[in-house]
Amino acid sequence: MSSGLGDFFKGFYEGFKSFGQSVSKVVNLILLGVVYFVGMGLTAIFAKAFGKKFLEIKATDSKSTWEKVRIKKEQLENYKRMF
Amino acid sequence: MYILGIDCFYHDAAACLLKDGKIVAAAEEERFTRRKHDINFPINAIKFCLRQANITVDDLEFVTFYEKPLIKFERILNSNIEMFPFSFPVFYKAMPSWLNEKLKLKSIIRKKMKYNGEVLFVDHHLAHAASCFLISPFKKSAILTIDGVGEWATTSLGFGEGNNITLFEQIKFPHSIGLLYSAVTEYLGFKVNNDEYKVMGLAALGEPTYYDDFKKIIHINEDGSYSLDMSYFIYHYKLSMVSKKFIKQFGPKRIPESDLEKRHIDIAATLQKITEDAMFKMLNHLYEQTKCKNLCMAGGVALNCVVNGKIRKHTPFKEIFIQPAASDAGAGMGSAFFIYNTVLDRKREFTMENAYLGPGFSRDHIKNFLTKNKINFTEFKDDSELLRKTAKLIFDNKIIGFFQGRMEWGPRALGNRSILANPCNPQMKDILNDKVKHREDFRPFAPVTTIEDFKKYFESDHGDTFMLFVYPIKKDKQRTIPSVTHVDGTGRIQTVSREQNKRYYQVIKEFEKLSGVPVLINTSFNIRGEPIVCTPEDAYRCMMGTGIDYLVMENFLIGRADNPKDMWDSWKGRREILIKMG
Repeated sequence: MSSGLGDFFKGFYEGFKSFGQSVSKVVNLILLGVVYFVGMGLTAIFAKAFGKKFLEIKATDSKSTWEKVRIKKEQLENYKRMF
Repeated sequence: MYILGIDCFYHDAAACLLKDGKIVAAAEEERFTRRKHDINFPINAIKFCLRQANITVDDLEFVTFYEKPLIKFERILNSNIEMFPFSFPVFYKAMPSWLNEKLKLKSIIRKKMKYNGEVLFVDHHLAHAASCFLISPFKKSAILTIDGVGEWATTSLGFGEGNNITLFEQIKFPHSIGLLYSAVTEYLGFKVNNDEYKVMGLAALGEPTYYDDFKKIIHINEDGSYSLDMSYFIYHYKLSMVSKKFIKQFGPKRIPESDLEKRHIDIAATLQKITEDAMFKMLNHLYEQTKCKNLCMAGGVALNCVVNGKIRKHTPFKEIFIQPAASDAGAGMGSAFFIYNTVLDRKREFTMENAYLGPGFSRDHIKNFLTKNKINFTEFKDDSELLRKTAKLIFDNKIIGFFQGRMEWGPRALGNRSILANPCNPQMKDILNDKVKHREDFRPFAPVTTIEDFKKYFESDHGDTFMLFVYPIKKDKQRTIPSVTHVDGTGRIQTVSREQNKRYYQVIKEFEKLSGVPVLINTSFNIRGEPIVCTPEDAYRCMMGTGIDYLVMENFLIGRADNPKDMWDSWKGRREILIKMG
């Protein structure tokens, strides 16, 4: 009797967990969809309207595509940032 | 001062601990979790590093991370916006990981390590640059870092002098030689970030007949800069890498594990040729900018040992240093050295002379393992006698698992976690594949020889401790060591000196006494699909699951045939999968 109850609760828990994961997937999809299509979508539309490029994907005939940079050591404080 | 450098969440998570600017310990997480290329937070590697130094997290001055996550996130968002609305699947897949892990790195480090100190973030390509230059023997050096992509940079040129590193030119995402190589790897039915070296090996069998086609997809300038025609690629906004236009140009993608056709092999050969052309032009340009004959390289593309072996011939560079974990696994180490030597301006006092930085196991530990598990073994009091016996077994065409000392850092086995075999036996490649490695037929095995002998066998004036250079084998020696001679007459060489690894060196010399040849096959000690073995348990399990005949663990010799109760077939499950695939 007690092992039957144990099996029932275990099955109930697993089922509930699985249901929770499915709900989480749906919620993720909706939330991320909203962020993507509204947030990024509006940004993309405005960018295209004003000719702003976020990524250089066009091939170029330029004789050199080296971008000059000057990356060297900075103050220790600057490395505490994630950017 | 203790500094811990880590990398995780993309490729090959790893940890490296410095004490006063010298490496105390370093290891990849995969070796502990037994999950190949494990990207998860390297808690096991970190615990090992702390244990090795006999310290706790409270003794750490800094924890350093190998990139700037927010700048990388900026690149991800930019790519998604630019490719709206086609980038939604990639956005949906990537965001949970970013929001739950990658943007919360500081708190994850603090929570998982119970660490309350400072966490520092170093630019990815700077970390790569530091990982090679600051541990090289050079006071001054030109630096090339080249990989798939860091935050934005895919290729960087720089210069190192003393403690300082400056990067002065870069190429940015999505234009990337590393991603080009990975894209073709995927197209050829291999795994991205895992099998690029297989494509490199495959290239030797083909001809670069697709060169004109490749010139349409990558434009290389005379100064070595380049740009990709992104209409052939979709990796910047989709989960796959090549576009329909690429497939129309080169034919259908190869199904994984299916037979290789001539066009696949020729495409691999062309990819390798174009990579070499780009690299040599880049390096010549770098030399013109720096006028320095020393070169340090890092980034995943620096593991292309075929290119590396040709650099001296095609560029003015004379001395080259590449550390064994040149990919992202080593960038965590680089971030630690960058902070210590460059930012804090502490004197450089460490040169990487060997890669033996992982866990080691005492003879007592090994004996306890063997007796506790009722394993039949022979203990040798005289080490020389065991090494002579090992050489004799190899000479008799037995396959030996060789486990000793501290585990190697990086993807190569270098004598401490190696499988050794007879290179003079022309059948040995097939025997090793059939019994142990189950690799694709086209993949060669690599030779190890001594520092005194390599010039007799290889067309090179430079040895290599870390197995990162491919050189031609002398024509009159190719028939002597057929099992390590690739179809194009080359070999990826490891040279070892008595000082670097006494026992490994001695096995080679003992083999020479029997055969007249001071060369062995050295291949990584692992079951196919698993990481290189780490512990005595891993080593024993590997031997018993494959056709390795004997296992030498320090001064113990264990025979597979002497322990039938522990035999199992590691190939069986995989064979069934391949049969199902037809």
